[in-house]
Amino acid sequence: MADYDAIASLHKAIPPFSPSIPVALLPYIAFLLLTATFALAFYFSTLPKSALPIREFAVASTASILGGFGVVALFNSAGVYL
Amino acid sequence: MLGFWRSSYSLFLLISLVPYVSAGHSFENTAIVRTVELGGSVVHVTTTYAVKALEDDSKIYTIALGEREHDSTSWLVAKIKGESTPLSVEERESNGNGPQLYDIKLPSPLMSGRTTNIVVETAQTHVTYPYPEEASQKDGQSLKYEADLLVLSPYDTAVQRTKIRSPFPQIHSYTEPEVEYTQDAPVTKSGATLTYGPYKNVPGSANARFAAEKQQRIAVHFSYDQPVLEITKLERAAEVSHWGANLNIQDNIHLRNAGPRLKGHFSRLEQQSQAFFQKPAPHMLPGLTLLLPAGIHDVYFYDIVGNVSTSKLRTAPSVPKGSQSNQFSVLELKPRYPLMGGWNYSFTLGWDSPLADSAGWDRERGKWVVGVPIMTTIPGTVVNEEELKIILPEGATNIEFFEPFPAIETELSTHITYLDTTGRPTLTFSYKNLTDKHSGIIYVAYNVPFSAHLKKPIAVATALMGLFVLAFVWKRVDTRIQKQK
Repeated sequence: MADYDAIASLHKAIPPFSPSIPVALLPYIAFLLLTATFALAFYFSTLPKSALPIREFAVASTASILGGFGVVALFNSAGVYL
Repeated sequence: MLGFWRSSYSLFLLISLVPYVSAGHSFENTAIVRTVELGGSVVHVTTTYAVKALEDDSKIYTIALGEREHDSTSWLVAKIKGESTPLSVEERESNGNGPQLYDIKLPSPLMSGRTTNIVVETAQTHVTYPYPEEASQKDGQSLKYEADLLVLSPYDTAVQRTKIRSPFPQIHSYTEPEVEYTQDAPVTKSGATLTYGPYKNVPGSANARFAAEKQQRIAVHFSYDQPVLEITKLERAAEVSHWGANLNIQDNIHLRNAGPRLKGHFSRLEQQSQAFFQKPAPHMLPGLTLLLPAGIHDVYFYDIVGNVSTSKLRTAPSVPKGSQSNQFSVLELKPRYPLMGGWNYSFTLGWDSPLADSAGWDRERGKWVVGVPIMTTIPGTVVNEEELKIILPEGATNIEFFEPFPAIETELSTHITYLDTTGRPTLTFSYKNLTDKHSGIIYVAYNVPFSAHLKKPIAVATALMGLFVLAFVWKRVDTRIQKQK
C-alpha cells in the first residue's frame, strides 16, 4: 500500500504529458506534408528513365518520409489518435 | 527407542493444538454494534468492535465472518474509530468449513486492560433478491435481505446488537427469532430501523460448532422504490496515444435490471400515462445519469443498432492531473427502451480526454506514468465482472503497474490496431463484484524509446516507398501484346 501511495503522489507531482509536436498544429502539418507528398509523387511520375536512378530514388524516398509523417498527422487530426 | 517416539508424539500433539491457541484469547469484546444499510444490489455493513486487551502487547485482533457472509463480501476495510488510515487486514488460510477469520494488525500494541474501537466496513453484493419475484408494470418493488443473526467473534462478547436500516420507510416483515442471550424482546422496530439485540454474554463463536448450533438466519422484507441495477459485464479499454496526446476510454456495458421480472406484457400506454402523471413504477429504469471525468470531448454512445441520440452531455473543463476535484462531466443517457425488471441493455460509451490530464513525465526514471480509473461508478450498482484493458503506445517497455487492490487476474498481451507493426503492449485486469467502494485508479509506468515513436511514420513511409518501387518497375516493363517493329 505504501508503494501505491508513493506512485499516486509521484503521479500528482510530476509535470503533465506534453507532446513534442503540439496537437493543435497537427491538421496544418498534415496538410502541408501531404501536399508536398502529392507534388513530389507527381514530379516522380514525370521523371525520365535513366541508367542510374538516383533522382528517382531521392524523390521517392523524400515523398515517402513526408507522406509517412503526413498520414500519421492526418489520422490524429481526424480523431483516430494513434 | 520408545522414549524418542513418545516425546515426538507429545510434541506433535502440542503442535496440532497451536491453531486453536493462536486465535488468541488476548482480547474481550465489550460491545459489538453491526449496522446494515440495506440497498438494492449492494449492502453496506459497518461493524464496530469495542475491544479490551486481556494480555500485554496484544497486536493482532481477529474477526470472523460466517461462510455465506464471507462469500458475499467483496470489500473489507478496517480502521480505528475516528482515524482515516486503513489497517492491514490479512485473510487466514481457510479449511473450507466454518467461519472465515481475518487478522487485523493494530497500529500500536495494546497493554492489558486498555480499550480501543475497531470499525470494519464491508460491502456485500447479491445478498438481496426481489420478493415477489414477478411484478407487473403497475406493481411496487420489494426485496428480501437475509443474514446471520449473531455477529461471530473468536473472543467473548459482553453485549452485541445488529441494526438494520432500510432506505425506504416501508418494512413488510422481519424474522422474530428465539434467542437465548436476551431476556427482553429479541427484535425491536423503530421507523425504518430494526434492532436485533442487545444480546448479552455471547461466548467465542468463531467455530463451526457454534455456527451449526446457535447461529440463526434472519430475513427482512422491505420495499425498495428505486431500480435495482447490476452490470453483468463491463469491458473497459483505455488507449494511450503519444502522437495525439490523447487518452481514449471506451466502456462496453451490459446493464441489467435485477428487480422483479415483468409479469405480463409491456404496455406503452401504461408507460406513457405513468410518465404523464409523474408516477413512475419504482422498478422501471427510464435513464441513467453518469458522472464522467472533467475535460472530456468527443463522447460517443452507441449500441448494436447504431448511435443512440437520447443523451445529454454537459462537459466540465479540464482539471489538473491527480487533483481530487469534484468537477465532473454529466451525461444523462436514456436507453432505447425503459428497462423493466429482468431486462438487459448493452451499449458502448466512450470518450477522449487530453493525455495531460492523466499522464505525467518522470524525468528521474525516464518513464511516463499514466493513471486510469478502474470504472465509472453508478451508485448502488454492482459490476459482476469487469475486464480492464490498458493499451500502451507501441514499443513501450519496462512496464510496471500499481493497483489500489489486487485484481483476480492480470495479463500482459499485444493489441494490434491502426498503423501498428509490432502491436501495442496491453495490460488486462479482471475483476468480480465491484461496488462503488472499488472506484480507484491504476497507475502504469512505462518507457517508450524515441525510435519506437517513429515506428508508425516509418511503417507508412515503407508502404509508400513500396508503391514508388512498383511504379519504377512498371515504367520499365513492356506490357504491350504486340512488339513494336
